[in-house]
Amino acid sequence: MADAANGGLTVSIEDTTGQGVTITQSGQQGAFGGELLTINFGPHHPSTHGVLRLIVDLDGEKVKRVKPVIGYLHTGIEKQMEALRWQQGVVCTDRHDYLSPPINNLAYALAVERLMGVEVPPRAQALRVIMSELTRLSSHLVWLGTSGIELGAMSVLMYCFRERDTIMDMNEEISGFRMHTSYIRPGGVMADATPRFFDLLAKFLREMPGHIDEYEDLLTMNPIWRARTIGIGRLAPEVAKVVGASGPMIRGSGIAWDLRKVMPYSGYENYDFEVATNDGCDCYARYLVRIQEMRESVKILAQAVDRLPDGPVNVDDRKMLPPPREELETSMEAVIHHFKLFTEGYSVPPGDVYVAVESGRGENGCYISSDGTHKPRRVKFRSASFVNLQALERMALDHMVADLVAIIGTADTVLGDVDR
Amino acid sequence: MIAEELITDKGVSAGDEWITVAAPRLREALAALKEDGYRLLVFLSCVDHLADSSREWPARFELLYELRDMEKLRDLRVRAFVDGDPPQIDSVHDLFPPANWDERETYDMFGVVFNGHPELTRILMPDDWVGHPLRRDYPVGGEPVEFSEEHETWLTPPTEA
Repeated sequence: MADAANGGLTVSIEDTTGQGVTITQSGQQGAFGGELLTINFGPHHPSTHGVLRLIVDLDGEKVKRVKPVIGYLHTGIEKQMEALRWQQGVVCTDRHDYLSPPINNLAYALAVERLMGVEVPPRAQALRVIMSELTRLSSHLVWLGTSGIELGAMSVLMYCFRERDTIMDMNEEISGFRMHTSYIRPGGVMADATPRFFDLLAKFLREMPGHIDEYEDLLTMNPIWRARTIGIGRLAPEVAKVVGASGPMIRGSGIAWDLRKVMPYSGYENYDFEVATNDGCDCYARYLVRIQEMRESVKILAQAVDRLPDGPVNVDDRKMLPPPREELETSMEAVIHHFKLFTEGYSVPPGDVYVAVESGRGENGCYISSDGTHKPRRVKFRSASFVNLQALERMALDHMVADLVAIIGTADTVLGDVDR
Repeated sequence: MIAEELITDKGVSAGDEWITVAAPRLREALAALKEDGYRLLVFLSCVDHLADSSREWPARFELLYELRDMEKLRDLRVRAFVDGDPPQIDSVHDLFPPANWDERETYDMFGVVFNGHPELTRILMPDDWVGHPLRRDYPVGGEPVEFSEEHETWLTPPTEA
């Protein structure tokens, strides 16, 4: 509210949030003798990727302090999972990072499998890689489209969502659901892929490299795009390491850190791909890294389809996965297993495990602590967005407020993943 | 190298190496491990072992610090057990910057107080929230859902509300 006694110039906001939001005007002088202005950025701002709220101190238009306020999308997923049986928890993992459900499924499934000492068959592993890479592509496409729109490149979104829709069609074909697929489950995958899925995938792989060229035509040498991103939001390599940044954030700072290479899971060591890095350390570098990653994902997908092994897509363990439908009519034992699984579920041996996978945003990990019962004692998601968002202030300092939009954009946070 | 007398227990769980240190000396142990190459704190969290009969637990709250050595590609989980009301432990936000928000989250969800944290406030829940939701004695569905038919404001006529 404006303080009329001081000529209406001083802006004072009461500290009602109790979050230690100190909005002091007196004593803080800007470079031109004016006072620092504190503004509220979000949570309903279209460029905040959901409901991110920032409290920003401005000196003129220069950012002097950024304080993210999060929690607007907290849905208590970790609490909810403690009340669900092991196989039911998969649907919750879909929903925290809602742009990459299969990768979250994979982290959870790998963690449960490691606790149980189960190894999934090779065909299931390859299908998991295919779904992970499709998800990475669709996640990067959403990022590219929305970041483009935030910086004034309206048409990129149309191109990106065109391709994203074909990925959604493939999700629907393989799992029956366009977004929250729950396709990857402890013990394998939901079902084998249909021939139509492979037709769609083959067409997609033929066309996608050309489409990536299209996006690059629109942006890479675009003078406005370059002016808005080059030199903006610098994150030095040593800082990126210290703040725990991962994914394109750390690779855009020139460090070739990719969990698919350094700690391979699900058979990633068998695929031939490059880790995309760029030494620019700025928003433009992170853009180039993501574009390069999309090309590498297409390469991995082509290899995975080429050498997709035959065989089952689930572990052959009746204590963990239900028997096939036709067995229920002939085998009493199958009926008993079916009944046990859908009333009590299975138990996981006591212990704890942490599994990290590389999502489109960075290291998305799943920590599980089991007490030996049919429900988890604690499930914790280590989300890349939550950690990357902490680096925001270091990147945004002394930039213009309009550049803050570019920096939030290229940090690629998903608020569902931050707040869980 | 971390001194042997700091480690009270160690082992391997599902392929993950872990050590337990005494809670009062946690900062000392983590600083030594940081010198040893574990320069990244991947995450920090807590497990509530209320009524957990899977084995004997030294205390109710188990704090976990997942450390990573990015050069030698090794992970180490450090555990510390705390009890009390509120449970207390030293903050490590100055040793590992990512711990800042993680400690706020753990305080928010479990009520563990991190001594020395610059701004130990709720991060995910609203500031006026009562209780710590991830504790095992905090029920699921315990609070009324706002704007639902069961919510009390619907039961009161507008004139009396």
